[in-house]
Amino acid sequence: MSLEQQQKDAAKWVNDYSDMLYGFAVQRVNDTHAARDIVQDTFLAAWRNIENYTGEASVKTWLFTILKNKIIDHYRKTSSRSAHELSGDAGQQELFFDSEDHWAANAYPKDWGINYDNRIETKEFYSILQKCKSKLKDIQASVFSMKYLDGLESEEICKVLNITSSNYWVLVHRAKVQLRACLEANWFMR
Amino acid sequence: MSITCKQATDYISKKEEGKVTLLQRYQLWRHFAVCSLCKLFSKQNKLLVSSLKHTTAQGEALTTNEKATIIKMMEQNKEAIE
Repeated sequence: MSLEQQQKDAAKWVNDYSDMLYGFAVQRVNDTHAARDIVQDTFLAAWRNIENYTGEASVKTWLFTILKNKIIDHYRKTSSRSAHELSGDAGQQELFFDSEDHWAANAYPKDWGINYDNRIETKEFYSILQKCKSKLKDIQASVFSMKYLDGLESEEICKVLNITSSNYWVLVHRAKVQLRACLEANWFMR
Repeated sequence: MSITCKQATDYISKKEEGKVTLLQRYQLWRHFAVCSLCKLFSKQNKLLVSSLKHTTAQGEALTTNEKATIIKMMEQNKEAIE
């Protein structure tokens, strides 16, 4: 392949697939800058290893395989940066529960006055959800992405993040309580 | 043996993955009978989980500049290899 041809392909790859890859990454990575870096690294890695691309899978599939590996690396990094989140420290949790571990008076869940069985479809809701998710700690967001978007079992999540199952449940619990309160304040009872 | 709201909300998440014991399930049921807040949390949690699962890309895109930067880096990279 001539250099000119390859350069055309570089532009074609980026124009055809970068938004798709970015959309996938940004939902899973709690930070738009990190998502951009991951997409960039994906293209560079694919480009460097172009000799290994056999053409059996489509370019799109090949790029997504690389992207997913980079996202897993990102999940791992959020875990190694979060040692203190995993300690027994109650931190934020104290805001939600009182000294007897019942709901604190100012954190009582409010009735949103909706049918809870109906899924919400509006775009605005999902953008608020994304904002509330971005307020979580990185490792909490990683757990949620793996659990709900990638459908991984808790055992696999613990393995990727190198955390214990009790760490995992504390992370899930705190993130849930926090996300619920954020959605209540910014969407349901705004 | 009764449980606290903090335990109840934790069991609610565990129940989602089928990771509660029979005793915990019973304790949760007993707790709901006396705690409307946790019962409400449980309903809201279900909605939350289904929303989290159905999050889709909202048309996020890279800017033309960001794309151009990636293309340039790829081209330079290729030249460096050759």
